[in-house]
Amino acid sequence: MVTAIRRRVGTVALHTLLIVGGLLMTFPFVWMLLTAFKGEGQMIQDPLAWLPDPWRASNFPDALDAMPFGRAYWNSFYIAAITVVATLLTASMAAYAFTRIEFPFSRSLFVVFLLTQMVPTQVTLVPLYVMLSHFGWIDTHLALILPAIANPFAVFMMRQFIRAVPIELEEAARLDGANRWTIFTRIVLPNIKPGMAALGIIVFLGSWNSFIYPLIFLNSEENFTVPMLLASFKGQHGGLDYGMLLAASTISVVPMLIAFMIGQRKIINSMAASGMGGR
Amino acid sequence: MSFSRAAKTVAVLAVGAALAATTGCGGSSGSGSGSGKTTVTWSTWGNPEELARFKEFEKDFGKRHPDIKLKLQAVPSYSDYHAKLLTQLSSKTAPDVFYVGDDFAGKFVSAGALAPLNEKMAAPDSKAKQEDFFDGLYGGAKKDGKIYGIPNDANPEVLWYDKQTLKDAGITEDPAALNAQGKWTMATFLEMNRKLKGADKAGSVFYNWYGSTYSMINGFGGKVYDGGKFVGNTDPKSREALKALADGYQNGTFLVADILPEGNGSDVQFIKHKVGFAAGGRWMIDTVKKGQPDNYDIVPFPSQSGVLMPQTVGTSFLALNKDAKNAQAAWTFMSEFVSKEGQTLRLKGGGNAVPSVKGADSVVMEGYPAHAQTFVDARDGGFANYPEEAGVPELTAKINELLLKLWTGKVGFDQAMNDLGSLVSGKLS
Amino acid sequence: MTTSTLSRTTDARRPATDKPDSRRTLLGRRRRERWWAALFLGPQLAALLVFTLIPLGFAVVLAFMKWDGLGEKSWVGFDNFQTQFSDPTFRDAVLNTLTLGLITVPVGLVLALLIAMALNNVRGKTIYRVIYFLPVVTSSVAVAVIWQMLLASGDLGMLNNTVHDWFGITLPDWLNDPDWVMVAIAAVTIWSSLGLNVVIFLAGLQSIPAHLTEVARIDGAGPLRIFRHVTLPLLSPTIFFSFVVAVISSFQAFDQIYVLVDPDHNEGARTIVYQVYDLGFKKFEFGASSAAALLLTLMTVVVTVAQFGMQKRFVHYES
Repeated sequence: MVTAIRRRVGTVALHTLLIVGGLLMTFPFVWMLLTAFKGEGQMIQDPLAWLPDPWRASNFPDALDAMPFGRAYWNSFYIAAITVVATLLTASMAAYAFTRIEFPFSRSLFVVFLLTQMVPTQVTLVPLYVMLSHFGWIDTHLALILPAIANPFAVFMMRQFIRAVPIELEEAARLDGANRWTIFTRIVLPNIKPGMAALGIIVFLGSWNSFIYPLIFLNSEENFTVPMLLASFKGQHGGLDYGMLLAASTISVVPMLIAFMIGQRKIINSMAASGMGGR
Repeated sequence: MSFSRAAKTVAVLAVGAALAATTGCGGSSGSGSGSGKTTVTWSTWGNPEELARFKEFEKDFGKRHPDIKLKLQAVPSYSDYHAKLLTQLSSKTAPDVFYVGDDFAGKFVSAGALAPLNEKMAAPDSKAKQEDFFDGLYGGAKKDGKIYGIPNDANPEVLWYDKQTLKDAGITEDPAALNAQGKWTMATFLEMNRKLKGADKAGSVFYNWYGSTYSMINGFGGKVYDGGKFVGNTDPKSREALKALADGYQNGTFLVADILPEGNGSDVQFIKHKVGFAAGGRWMIDTVKKGQPDNYDIVPFPSQSGVLMPQTVGTSFLALNKDAKNAQAAWTFMSEFVSKEGQTLRLKGGGNAVPSVKGADSVVMEGYPAHAQTFVDARDGGFANYPEEAGVPELTAKINELLLKLWTGKVGFDQAMNDLGSLVSGKLS
Repeated sequence: MTTSTLSRTTDARRPATDKPDSRRTLLGRRRRERWWAALFLGPQLAALLVFTLIPLGFAVVLAFMKWDGLGEKSWVGFDNFQTQFSDPTFRDAVLNTLTLGLITVPVGLVLALLIAMALNNVRGKTIYRVIYFLPVVTSSVAVAVIWQMLLASGDLGMLNNTVHDWFGITLPDWLNDPDWVMVAIAAVTIWSSLGLNVVIFLAGLQSIPAHLTEVARIDGAGPLRIFRHVTLPLLSPTIFFSFVVAVISSFQAFDQIYVLVDPDHNEGARTIVYQVYDLGFKKFEFGASSAAALLLTLMTVVVTVAQFGMQKRFVHYES
């Protein structure tokens, strides 16, 4: 009885905390949604107002008309999708090698991997540009996809997840005569699905939001990605049309939310599917 | 789910992706060559409206020159634009023709990245002769008599004022009317600022750049450079002006536009009648239209005597890449872009600047603001920074950085003057 | 280390292989293992080599040169490093960067862990998860406007005005005071990156076999004991990963600062990466910029190596 009450009180306290914290997390997003419906003058007349007055849904079609969003959407989407698939596959492969295959200089090589993440991209930007222009990849999407695949953080993250996979599972398969590739695809990958889903979300977001590389590497408008179009709405003198700017922003975050939902579901569902939880 | 199926999905996606990627780049790079056209690449920054105007110009140009194909590389923001331009220049892949901001011109000129234009401008059939443009506007794009960039257009910095706010603060005289009578003096301006402050408003909002600061110094009768030497920190009247600015910024009579929070910037303050004067160019039309346009008018920065003094002008330049592949076609585009006709096309119908070329002022005199003539007058005698300063990379930026510390009270006045002296003498030597 | 471990495990597992051939099979196996390693590592290694290591090599060379990005390069030895060491703005940048890391890493990780634990099994977790993820997908413009309004001084500053009205306390001018701006930046950094850390921790928690906690519960262990002795050890590889990555990314702080303040207007917001950017793309001193970047790298390496050293004591791995 007492424990039941205590548990009830605990639950209420937990939810109260989560809701208060949730408000803190949510309000800029809500503000973004609401401001996307505001007219041009309202941000000036009353910057603190939350509700649009009047509501102006036309910001959305206006924003879409002002710049070629359809094309940019497709560009951003397919770049992010390829980057996610390629990164998930190659990073977990590399992580598997680092974790479960013995080879000379394994540790040193991993250190080199991590080391490259410690150099700010600002300083490798010019040499990378020079190289990509030699390859003739400037103003193509290859210049965004291929460099993004080299992702030591992803390797590191997958390595941590693979290390948590019980080695006995692998050894059992080995005794059955399975080779490395079979073990990797049949044993390891199913067991690190939650990690891969989380990594997928992160890589997708990173690619979708990426700004500096597309800005420097792409020249033609038909190749532009969504963040580049968004930036052009900000204007030279701190433009005031927040309505249209945030309408455009709102449109641009939808794919990220979808990616998150899908990834989240995978993180949760994979437990049951992989047999991990029941072991 | 079985992983062989997953592997198949991955493979299909990867192949599809690779195909998409190759067609993507094939489409963009293949179109320029082969059609017998000369391609000229050019780059600039701009928001969607500005870009729409550039595209209009390109279309018009294409009709006149079917043999030249223009390819625009647009970058949204000013600072990102210059980072990209530098990256391109360092790997020799910069466009044939490009915009250069006035604070970057000195750097690119001294680094030898730009082609001198004198000969091309002087050619008999040139559509952009040196004397077509107001001489004070060449600024940092002119060095030792050589011209490395042509001003695209100009934005003389004037004072926009809010009639309503002035009236609310008990100011009965109209600044533009005073100016017409030759009575628009620094003393009057400062007195108005005091009254605005007394009425619980800010007097004026300035951007922290040489334009506003040097205009204030000149308005006090001070000098910034004298005989090639920096005297802004020693000339008694200049010191008086800087002291007045520093005190004003610290007690709230003046506001630094650069450090106002996003969503409550100078534009918002001005439209909401929180400040009487806002320094800015013709681009402010877009801002004041969001309030009641008739409530706003413009006046030049005041002088000591009330007679119009040289005003500062913000500008940007169009430059020719030293390594341009098709210099002749590039020049054709460039000269038409900055010519009278080009500027008229770009600036008519509420454009955001004033022509830098002679004989195109009809685009300014479209009826708004009431004293639009002030833009023209300010440009005619105006100047784009002092040549001493414009020619030295980084100098202007350094001075602004230091002055901001003075405005925000992070360094004392005497300290700031000393620092200013050593900064400039170190850079100029 | 590698070969001896290898031979030991192979020998132990296959004791009954025919004796005369054992040495040959061992060598063959080792060679085969290397081929497998090459196959698995290949794609990442190739991408890393081409797109990161080669440009990095160029940057290292550049650190010993003077180059404005356009003209000729010239060797200057260690000059660039010396200039950075004697430059007070670089020293301030190092201090600012460390301050940011010291706040964001512990606070950010502990908060994310607590939230992930709470969200792991709470009722209505789906909606909570979305809510706590929202800052990650909120546009940076909205983030800038809202936080600048919240933290501003003067009549619009919501936070300072509220605190002043309710408690009579005057808070600092968060965005313009160089002594306090890093605290404001740290708060917004934690706020905006929380969602990603929660996602990673949730994935880690989901990978913990449910039967282990169940067994502990049946044995009569309370929630705290289960956390301490089951959850925490099994989650430690994930925590370690987040810890290392959080330190590295706090040292690389740049984007989130630009959203809130312009470091040109407030020197308290200058980080090392801002220094790198400023020297390179605004001052055209690419050599000095590279030198500053290498010093940052060195600093990061030292801290990361220390973290990996600690790993043995605190991180629990399978096998």
